[in-house]
Amino acid sequence: MTATVGSAAGAGRRLPRIPVPAALILGGVLAWAVTMVAAGQPGQISVDGFVSILQRATALGFVAIGQTFAILVGSIDLSVANLVSVAAVMASFIMQGDPAMIVPAVVAVLAIGAAVGLANGLIVTQLGVNPLIATLGTGLILQGVLSTSFQNFAGAVPEAFQVFAYGQIGPFPIGVLTMLGMAAVAGLTLKYTVFGARIYAVGGNRDGARLAGIKTTRVVIQAHMLCSLGAAMTGLYLASRLRSGAPWVGRDGVYDLESIAVVVIGGTILAGGRGGVAGTIAGVIVFAFIDAIFNTIGIDAYLKQVLRGAIIIAAVAAYAYRMKGHVA
Amino acid sequence: MSGGDADRAPAPAPVAEGAAGAARAGGGWRARLGGLARIHPIYIVLIALLVAIAWMSPVFAEPAGMMNFLRRAAPLMILAAGQVFVIVAGGFDLAVGSLVTLVVLGSALMIDGDPTMTGITLAVMVGVGVAVGLVNGAIVAYLKVPSIIATLGMLISLKGVALSLSGGSPQGYLPENFRFFGRHTFTDIPLIGILPVAVIVLVVFGALAIWLMHGTRFGKQVLALGDNPRAAELAGVNVPVVRIGAFLISALSAVVAGVLLGGFAGVSTDVGDGYELQAIAAAVIGGAQLLGGRGSVPTAIAGALTLSALFTLLNLLGFPKPLRDAVQGLILIAAVAYTMAQRHRRG
Amino acid sequence: MTGGDETAAASAGEGAPAFEMRGITKTFPGVTALADVGFACRAGEIHALCGENGAGKSTLIKILSGVYRADAGEIRLGGRPVRFDHPVEARDAGISVVHQELSLLPDRTVADNLFLGREPARFGVIDRGVMRRRAREALDDLFAEAIAPDALVRDLPLAQQQVVEIAKALAFEARIVVLDEPTAALEEHEVAAFKALVLRLRDRGVAVVYISHRMPEVFELADTITVLKDGRHVLTAPRGELDVGAVVRAMVGRALEDFFPPRAETVGEPVLSVAGGANDRIAGIDVAVRRGEIVGIAGLEGSGKAALGRALFGLEPFEAGTVRVGGRDVHPGSPRAAIAAGIGYLPEDRKAEGLALMQSVRDNCMLTMRAVAGLFGRPDAPQTRPAEVERMMRAVDIRAASPDQEVRLLSGGNQQKAIVARWFARDPEVLIFAEPTRGIDVNAKAAIYRLMRDYAAAGKGVVMISSDLPEIVGVSDRIVVMRAGTVVGELSGGAGEEDVMRLATGHTEVAA
Repeated sequence: MTATVGSAAGAGRRLPRIPVPAALILGGVLAWAVTMVAAGQPGQISVDGFVSILQRATALGFVAIGQTFAILVGSIDLSVANLVSVAAVMASFIMQGDPAMIVPAVVAVLAIGAAVGLANGLIVTQLGVNPLIATLGTGLILQGVLSTSFQNFAGAVPEAFQVFAYGQIGPFPIGVLTMLGMAAVAGLTLKYTVFGARIYAVGGNRDGARLAGIKTTRVVIQAHMLCSLGAAMTGLYLASRLRSGAPWVGRDGVYDLESIAVVVIGGTILAGGRGGVAGTIAGVIVFAFIDAIFNTIGIDAYLKQVLRGAIIIAAVAAYAYRMKGHVA
Repeated sequence: MSGGDADRAPAPAPVAEGAAGAARAGGGWRARLGGLARIHPIYIVLIALLVAIAWMSPVFAEPAGMMNFLRRAAPLMILAAGQVFVIVAGGFDLAVGSLVTLVVLGSALMIDGDPTMTGITLAVMVGVGVAVGLVNGAIVAYLKVPSIIATLGMLISLKGVALSLSGGSPQGYLPENFRFFGRHTFTDIPLIGILPVAVIVLVVFGALAIWLMHGTRFGKQVLALGDNPRAAELAGVNVPVVRIGAFLISALSAVVAGVLLGGFAGVSTDVGDGYELQAIAAAVIGGAQLLGGRGSVPTAIAGALTLSALFTLLNLLGFPKPLRDAVQGLILIAAVAYTMAQRHRRG
Repeated sequence: MTGGDETAAASAGEGAPAFEMRGITKTFPGVTALADVGFACRAGEIHALCGENGAGKSTLIKILSGVYRADAGEIRLGGRPVRFDHPVEARDAGISVVHQELSLLPDRTVADNLFLGREPARFGVIDRGVMRRRAREALDDLFAEAIAPDALVRDLPLAQQQVVEIAKALAFEARIVVLDEPTAALEEHEVAAFKALVLRLRDRGVAVVYISHRMPEVFELADTITVLKDGRHVLTAPRGELDVGAVVRAMVGRALEDFFPPRAETVGEPVLSVAGGANDRIAGIDVAVRRGEIVGIAGLEGSGKAALGRALFGLEPFEAGTVRVGGRDVHPGSPRAAIAAGIGYLPEDRKAEGLALMQSVRDNCMLTMRAVAGLFGRPDAPQTRPAEVERMMRAVDIRAASPDQEVRLLSGGNQQKAIVARWFARDPEVLIFAEPTRGIDVNAKAAIYRLMRDYAAAGKGVVMISSDLPEIVGVSDRIVVMRAGTVVGELSGGAGEEDVMRLATGHTEVAA
């Protein structure tokens, strides 16, 4: 089911249902290959070239996998970018370059992630606050506390931890493998487990799910916790890659808005209940392809940003404009 | 703000009896504004904050202090007045912060210190605002892209345009006659002592927004389509035009705010950062309902002033700036949680 | 259809009740919703619960299913007193309610939906094989072989979705099934299949509580009928001892004949005429409506009657043919164009398509006038004719605490009246009513019919698209019957329901 989610409501009827993730990746690969050939760098079209593109996608990948859960359950999380910063800073601050502190730091960071997700989930379910506002609020709180305590790169990660970002197994970076592994686990969980069925049920029809005896608030909270754990993973990855965490790394990566964008581009609907991780990963990879293409043809950083905004809109418009109803 | 809650209607008359009299006597929004019977809680919070500020720093209690405070708060109040149209119509406008930055950087680049260029520059910026509003609205209305995505894309793109124009750092400078709006203050005014031009701009824009939302059929149609776009369409409302109108007003509010900010904050690449979320927060604190159908301009403006007052108070209390953001987050959650609890109690 | 009658009558007289409610009282702030109401149903019995909106039916059901707690009174299941604090407890005790608004997940499969909340699983992993097999069994059990367990619910027609909903209830081992207006959204031919399903439930020994506004259905299915009025129990009797008139009188306190207004006395020249109208759903549409008459459009689901209304109002415009209103050629390519051409339309789904629920009654009624008067004037400027709108609000007799009350707080009938007032004020030459009385109570129905008649009598054309046969034959001056996307015949107002069905189905023999 998750494989064909993208065929927009009603529109997919007459068209053959091409799974959105496959279409996205295929389109990305084609555009990339054409660009490389046109730019006179056909040598880039290789496993290594592809892997380097996956590497670009890794940081966004973790957080986007998490965001998929939040959106599927009918919520959303704008606090992820700030949580990424918190996680990155806390990781390097706790480690202070000491390999012995790696495990405590990772545990602490994941615990912080889980706690933030729990708080988000509780505010949304127990206080009835619209998730956009709730997570915007928690994001502001996280960033405020973080920026008050840390003004610059804090601490450092030991060499051993940098393996996460720079180590390789064969041609594949460990970070990429971890991200793809997490995506696979998330995808299989959604497709094959009772928990996955509940996520879709709560996102698709909350009242119906409640009547079926599902503890909907618990599912929403769990989804938020998974979302925050994804952000915490991105923070760990960035700390490893940058060798230290700074309180602006999350905001600089625009992980809040970009994670939402790739989830939606991947065919998960904002209202919840339909979509999946495969689409999200495809969206993340497409973003990385676009980056690579722009770099190859030498578009400057700012124009790249302009195009990126346009592409987000165009990608969503591509399957939204056929819809009959109104959108606001 | 002496606006009052413009959403509240005059004392009800049974439909079966004299409904005609009640509504006609109202003669529209002016009479409704008079119905201050129920005061929105935002005004109480606002007054409490202002009293606290005045107590902490008596200079704020003087007219001049008050006017300066209003001047600094004016851009956010204007942005909130614009944002509330989009929120009431059921959407979000995340592009306003970037548009503010673009207006400031673009103006500086275009004028480059030449006072004779000010008129044409202002006209061009209004044109840019109109274009951005039209494009945002059209993407949502015709391409059916949810506004949170559409204006997010616009945010990213506009920021790129702004930075690309200026090459990543502020360039050019704004002459005195451009900065007049944000910086100049008339002195020796009876009663209030000083009167910043920014406050005049705020009053004019605010009055215009209040009129549009609460005194025109356009406003009623924004409410109706935010509530149920399909029903509005079937009743004959020109849904795309009204929706685009809401985005247009929001974009123009960003142009006006940008001109003011360019005046007193000067030229920088991050001048508009974060304003989009603050404007949404202000509207929501002012009682606008996310996803549409409810909201009022005076309370949204009051929400913006409340946020500004809060920042000022925290500043006086010696909170570092990042912590002020944290408190803003807390207030935001608390305000919405309070509204939800109220709604729950009323059923 | 009526095969199981004798056995039903026999079983209805014996056996202990599957459940019994005694002395149920429930008050909400300011209202006594139920006062000392008793209600019981035996296994293998279909017990119809009748009453107008506000009579207390849904409150009673909500108490039975654990949504509300009664202030006083007791519920006994199989003789033992029980207390439910949550719908899940009631469901686990064997009580399932199939609501009008289906609780299915459109983007999940039938099997996913059937086992929602209790998927067969090992270590948290769903056993799809088992789930699919059990879903197949559950569906076969209801003779729903046509429904595939792997089909997405959104791809099923509404009637099949309802079957899935019932299969879901039964999959929870429900011994008591409450069907709340189950046929309200179904077309005639679907209703027939559905009624067979209800009888099958009864024959399996399920206690069926059947709530419906449709009297023919109640009398066809029910073994016992209970009527509530204003939160009180009025009567409970075996069906054989009652007739439709008696039940309606008990519900509303007056006779059935008063429902329908008199027919048109004089009919003028054509105000609407369509010649050769076609789009991708309908073709060869030739219809004329004259001033002063109500033309009923009848037909089964998919016959194109709904599509015709939507084409006339520019929602799915005609792609061929001509439309004339008041003697002028018009091109209703959008709702706004249709309105400009003198056509008005009341949608069949009030809440989804008709009302801005958070806005006031008055704002909802003013909306049509404001929408055409230009954007930048006062909401109540003279050209929006506020006095006229308010006159119409009084004329249609909207019962609201005040014109400033939010329209969501009104009853269905009053909401419909608000939409009527909106269009009466706009005063179009032709007014289209799509399923005008769906889901509203008997008194409000009668009022809506009267309003339609008044509007026609004022020299306008009225088109009534309806799936409700008694209403089609009772109200229309002329009946246009559609089948397979085109007009297949025309009948005069006095035609019988059988005549309409014969044309609508294309069969010469039709069970009444």
